[in-house]
Amino acid sequence: MKILAIVENTFKEAVRDRLLIVLLVIGFIAIASAKIIKPLALGEETKIIKDLGLATITITSVLVAILVGGRLVYKEIEKRTIYIMLAKPVHRFQFIIGKYLGLLLVIFFTMTVMTGGFYLMLYITSTPATYSLLLAIVLSFFELSIITAIALFFSTIATPITASLFTFIIYFISNFTRDLKATAQISPSVIVKGLCNFFYYLLPNLSNFNIRNLVVHNEIINSTTIFLSIIYAVVYSALILCLASIIFQKKDF
Amino acid sequence: MEVAVKTENLYKYYYTGFFTRKIKALENLNLEVNAGEIFGFLGPNGAGKTTTLKILVGLCKPNQGRVWIFDQLSTYVKTRERIGFLPEAPYFYDHLTAEEFLSFCAQLHKLKNRKTAIDSILNLVGLEPARKKPLRFFSRGMLQRIGIGQALISDPELIILDEPMGGLDPIGRKEIRDVIIGLKEKGKTIFFSTHILPDVEMLCDRVGILINGKLVTTGALNKILSESVENIELTIKGLPPEAIVRLQRNTQKTFVAEDKVIFSVSNEEEANFLLQKTQELGGKLVSFIPRRKTLEDHFIREVAKESKTQ
Repeated sequence: MKILAIVENTFKEAVRDRLLIVLLVIGFIAIASAKIIKPLALGEETKIIKDLGLATITITSVLVAILVGGRLVYKEIEKRTIYIMLAKPVHRFQFIIGKYLGLLLVIFFTMTVMTGGFYLMLYITSTPATYSLLLAIVLSFFELSIITAIALFFSTIATPITASLFTFIIYFISNFTRDLKATAQISPSVIVKGLCNFFYYLLPNLSNFNIRNLVVHNEIINSTTIFLSIIYAVVYSALILCLASIIFQKKDF
Repeated sequence: MEVAVKTENLYKYYYTGFFTRKIKALENLNLEVNAGEIFGFLGPNGAGKTTTLKILVGLCKPNQGRVWIFDQLSTYVKTRERIGFLPEAPYFYDHLTAEEFLSFCAQLHKLKNRKTAIDSILNLVGLEPARKKPLRFFSRGMLQRIGIGQALISDPELIILDEPMGGLDPIGRKEIRDVIIGLKEKGKTIFFSTHILPDVEMLCDRVGILINGKLVTTGALNKILSESVENIELTIKGLPPEAIVRLQRNTQKTFVAEDKVIFSVSNEEEANFLLQKTQELGGKLVSFIPRRKTLEDHFIREVAKESKTQ
């Protein structure tokens, strides 16, 4: 119940924030732009509309996770609202989990609204809506569950700008972890090999969650990979949250 | 008598500049607050008052020492079920209305009958008409009142208030004073820090003065003040002028006004002697007033004493 209260409060705070509204409006404009791009697609209309829609949903949600998540805990500390919450019978780990789930709810809300807009665009442009499109969005949500945990972790130790920047860098590199592994294999330098291997095992492998290309090109999607990716997202996020809770537990306010 | 708050050998240090400078915030703080009393925690800025209060509610951890709240170690989260806390110059979630904010606080206390608790708190702090108003539109006084409201939402036994009268106008201060008095009448323990000494004199049963992290005075307010009697004023009627001149030699100050004369003496013994003499000389006692030092005088003296020892 206490965690639910924190989830509800975090959600209300985010949806009443102008930042989320601005990001949603930009997202909708990007999805709607498919209508303008369509005549220029030269026979690739379906692919472009689907690609643009899926990319917009992911990018908007990533921005929400990084920008809102990056200031989630810091804002509570800076505005001293945390004094009110932690002086009540609330464990600090409950605060971290509540904040995390609250932000995840915001992302779910963002993705649902954006998906609504995307399906509307598919209908307007008479593009066939497939089940696999929804699967790609669901997998993006689990990818974002990891990003949200990382943003929250940085928010407990850094200012919003630093937290957002670090989260963005990690998001960027984590989409290329397979390249890190490949570099480690071919590099003659021991240092480069070591660093690439270190980051390969430390950072989340987000490329597992990207089935957008397969969906757009109507390729077969392996359900076991999807299931394992979801388990991976849950375990990785849980580990990050544990780390954030341990750091937060030691903090003086 | 039940003890509501007990601190034992509390030490707190802060580190600045990459852990190179150690700043002492509290030094061997031993303090007891009895259940059912109003305890005023005084001290100049930076004395360590807020740090102490934060340790009591678990926002800060001491480097050494322990704290008990009603015989339970303060490190247990469960202890906070019995505490209501108002931080200094509080900020709240400005996206929430007063009602939503109190509901959120009630949920954190797992209150079952939230609606009744919210209604009664809004009435108590006089914010019923503003229940649907977002907190970002609240004035300073209204924020202080909703702050007190959230501290009281769970009907706690111990209420800890950090500068509850800070930044309030005289009417706002009176309203908060009335709330505090009402809480004491209900048997609650109130532990508050303040700079406003007249409020302490009006409200507190006991006070503690903290200077540079050390508790320099603690005790019943009337005892602290009675120990610091400055002089005694005797107002006498019906004394002939030659008697006034004779008695004047035994006093600190004499002031003649119409048919009355006011003698000022330094202690009770001199006052009794003077009283006996005036009666022998035909005078009548109108009033006998021991003039005490105010809490402010006592406070300033303690601060000056402590800074000399530094």
